[in-house]
Amino acid sequence: MNQETMDAFKVPLFFSRSSVSTESHRTGDWSFIQPSFEDRTAPCSEACPCGTDLPRVEALAAQGRHLEAWQAILMENPLPGVCGRVCFHPCEQACNRGEFDAPVAVHALERFVSGQARPDPAPGRSAARPRRLAILGSGPAGLAAAAFLARLGHACEIFEAASEPGGLLRWGIPAYRLPAAVLAREIEAILALGVKLHCGAPRDGSLAGFDALLAACGQGRSLGLGVPGAELARDGLELLRAARTGPARPAAAGARAAVIGGGNTAIDVARTLLRQGLRPVIVYRRRREDMPAFAPELERALAEGAELLELHAPLALGRGRAGLRLTLQKMRSLDPGPDGRRPVTALPDAPVELLVDEVYGAVGAEPDPAWLELMAHTPATRLARCSIAFGPAPVAFIGDLGPAPKSVSEAIASGKEAALALDAWFAGGAAAVAALAACRVGAGPALSMASYLGTGRARSSRPVRFAELNPAYFVPAERAEPPVLAAAGFGEVEGGLEPAAAEREAGRCFSCGTCNGCDNCRTFCPDVAVRLELGARRIDTGFCKGCGVCVEECPRGAMAMGAEEGRP
Amino acid sequence: MRQVLEGSQAVAFAVRLARTKVISAYPITPQTHIVEELAKFCAEGSLDGRFICVESEHSAMAALIGAAAGGVRVFTASSSHGLAYMHEMLHWASGARLPIVMAEVNRALGPGWNLWMDQTDSLAQRDTGWIQLYCEDSQEALDTTLQAYLLAELVNLPVMVVLDAFFLSHTFEPVDVPGQEEVDRFLPPFAPKFRLDTAAPCNLHEMAGPPIYMEMRRSIQAAMERVPEAFRRVEADFAAHFGRSYGAVEAFRCEDAEVVLVMAGTMASTCRQLVLDLRARGERIGLLKLKLFRPFPAQAVWESLQGVPRIAVVDRNNSAGAGGIFAQEIRAALCNRRERPAVHSFIAGLGGRDITLGTLETIYRRALAAAAPAPESEWVELDEELAQS
Repeated sequence: MNQETMDAFKVPLFFSRSSVSTESHRTGDWSFIQPSFEDRTAPCSEACPCGTDLPRVEALAAQGRHLEAWQAILMENPLPGVCGRVCFHPCEQACNRGEFDAPVAVHALERFVSGQARPDPAPGRSAARPRRLAILGSGPAGLAAAAFLARLGHACEIFEAASEPGGLLRWGIPAYRLPAAVLAREIEAILALGVKLHCGAPRDGSLAGFDALLAACGQGRSLGLGVPGAELARDGLELLRAARTGPARPAAAGARAAVIGGGNTAIDVARTLLRQGLRPVIVYRRRREDMPAFAPELERALAEGAELLELHAPLALGRGRAGLRLTLQKMRSLDPGPDGRRPVTALPDAPVELLVDEVYGAVGAEPDPAWLELMAHTPATRLARCSIAFGPAPVAFIGDLGPAPKSVSEAIASGKEAALALDAWFAGGAAAVAALAACRVGAGPALSMASYLGTGRARSSRPVRFAELNPAYFVPAERAEPPVLAAAGFGEVEGGLEPAAAEREAGRCFSCGTCNGCDNCRTFCPDVAVRLELGARRIDTGFCKGCGVCVEECPRGAMAMGAEEGRP
Repeated sequence: MRQVLEGSQAVAFAVRLARTKVISAYPITPQTHIVEELAKFCAEGSLDGRFICVESEHSAMAALIGAAAGGVRVFTASSSHGLAYMHEMLHWASGARLPIVMAEVNRALGPGWNLWMDQTDSLAQRDTGWIQLYCEDSQEALDTTLQAYLLAELVNLPVMVVLDAFFLSHTFEPVDVPGQEEVDRFLPPFAPKFRLDTAAPCNLHEMAGPPIYMEMRRSIQAAMERVPEAFRRVEADFAAHFGRSYGAVEAFRCEDAEVVLVMAGTMASTCRQLVLDLRARGERIGLLKLKLFRPFPAQAVWESLQGVPRIAVVDRNNSAGAGGIFAQEIRAALCNRRERPAVHSFIAGLGGRDITLGTLETIYRRALAAAAPAPESEWVELDEELAQS
């Protein structure tokens, strides 16, 4: 049939149509609620004491942009190589992926990116009026404070009593967990920011020529065992220090040592003794699950050959015929107390005796009394992780001297908080210090340097919960585990990820709360109301009916529904 | 060129010959072979079109509505639950006056789960504004699909080409496949009477309130009323090119018949044989094959049955509570005629049960012997014990 014949066949064809495009239908007028793009805080970032922008780090790492990923960590944490080895990674406990299959191996990835070619120094700014700050101690808190203050344009001098910098990192953590070269490289990078370091230079609390003082002296003195014969015990911290300093002592092959305590130091002492050829037994008065030590560290110690004697409290220490006689009381665990911890009480059983060659105390440590005295005489404002006596010449107590939990990443966070607070204080007094709250990451205490510098992305403080993700878009994938190396001397026991494995692992990140341009919102919008202009997405409120499909289909909780302004 | 083709392939070949530009479908037995073949054509490039995979039949039809509004020839195929799921969009396609063509392979609806032949699925869509054309064999399936495009484009209504499950969709037969040039002469490139055009934006089928909605529905009805004439012209044109035509209805040996069996689909072939066998023995039996079901060819049916005293409508379907659907339509078409045959209604062959020569002869004899039609449809070859349990 030709077209002419077809055209000649007349059929009624009446239907509704407009003379203008559908844009004349302002469907947005119907809405009473509309979505918005909202960069939100990932729970890992909120849990990280340093507030590291982990979704961004993982996104960069997944794309093979390792230097940028490292840079993103350095923005918030000057010691990624250290933390990638010794941090107990609260980020992974908070990781939403843990509710899906297994948390992203954030810790191993931090170590991986910190092992790439050296990045540029983390950005900072110049201070309107640079100050001179004295930092006492070069442990993680002191180093971090120096790094952040230097990036904020201040002149920092670190006074370290020991012959080498690093504090606990240098003397308290064995080389099999943190090789000296890794620490040295990161300290070098901090010094490259213009920080002056004086080693073998103990110093008291006087200001003498400085505008402010930061005390970061740590807890260098072990607590005693507090039982008769305690003087026969050796100091666990001293053992660690000696193992770091000189050649390993000749192995007293097969000698048996008791390590009293349940913290990370006790574990490190036991593992150091193992490497020196001894047979350690860790004696702890509560249950194994009540130990403050990081569980995986304990497991490795046991795997390496250490023994554990739980629910045994030391009563006395005395000399035996050959070696030492440790008298122990069997204990019983009670219901949790108000602090959530389970107290113990002695069982009626007769004490037991443990015959050993050596006993090490690792039941806790305290600062040098001089600092305790100074703190007692210096009324300070307690912040989240440090205390600062604000005034014309402020004095800050950071790291172990502050109120934060005792861990390397908390110490770094403490130094960071003090640095930002002092900079704020110098610039704007108490009001500026109070305004630091705007730099919080999520609802936690972590502060963001990027926010403080005004270069960070604006993230809503509402952290993304697993229920807000759309797991239909994610596929289960096995978590990359770094290889566990055979315990050989003081060589590192944990290996690093290979680049391909690291990039794959970084790709497991859900990118909670951070738009990664997946475009689901635009694809699913029934009103074409998600506009993509110059690479950025926005809601065209003139046409968005507020159905919420985009928010539902956002896999990562980077969108939110909210009442429109000016509407009920 | 004569080729041995499966009924499904015959449809796919026609869709390719029609130079269809967009195909969107969701697989469902027994329709799947059609879209599988088309997907292959698209993949190998022998069909210069786009195959859009979708997650449902509802979306398939929605995609075609968009594409057809853009001014291109489109196609889909479905069956049974798939067609039922498409229901909302079927209304939209006809209301939007889009010349969409689909193949619908008759299959029973569950439960119980049943893949086999049953007409209820397509007949349940009779009020959606789609033209429905039923096919008897593979050649007719190919020819009807080509005709469907021309018919749809003449009247701006969508067309459903209906095939029997398995008896037609999965049976191989020799089929005369016309050459592309000849088809191009029969079916010119699609020249849409309206289309979406970004250069002159407008909103097609926008909200229509009480002042105009009724006029839109009347326009569809008026177009439907033009279909018998349009189809007659399409068939005449088709016959001129290819030498074959089918008619909206086909009366086979109805002259002086005492009983005419009325039906659609492949069972008409069985009935042709029965008519020949019984005529040879002197019995006066005829066959009226229905090809066009929507719009219902009332005039053609009445004319074909002039002087016939009784008809037996064989429905391979049932509208529960009302009986065979073809019988209902025929009763409605004849009720105001003074001269009209008695209408006997039979239900047979549901859910893929065979309709044999014996089945049809039983129906013929029951109609012949009955003093008057039973008040309800009569079910044949039924296990009454099971059915009443």
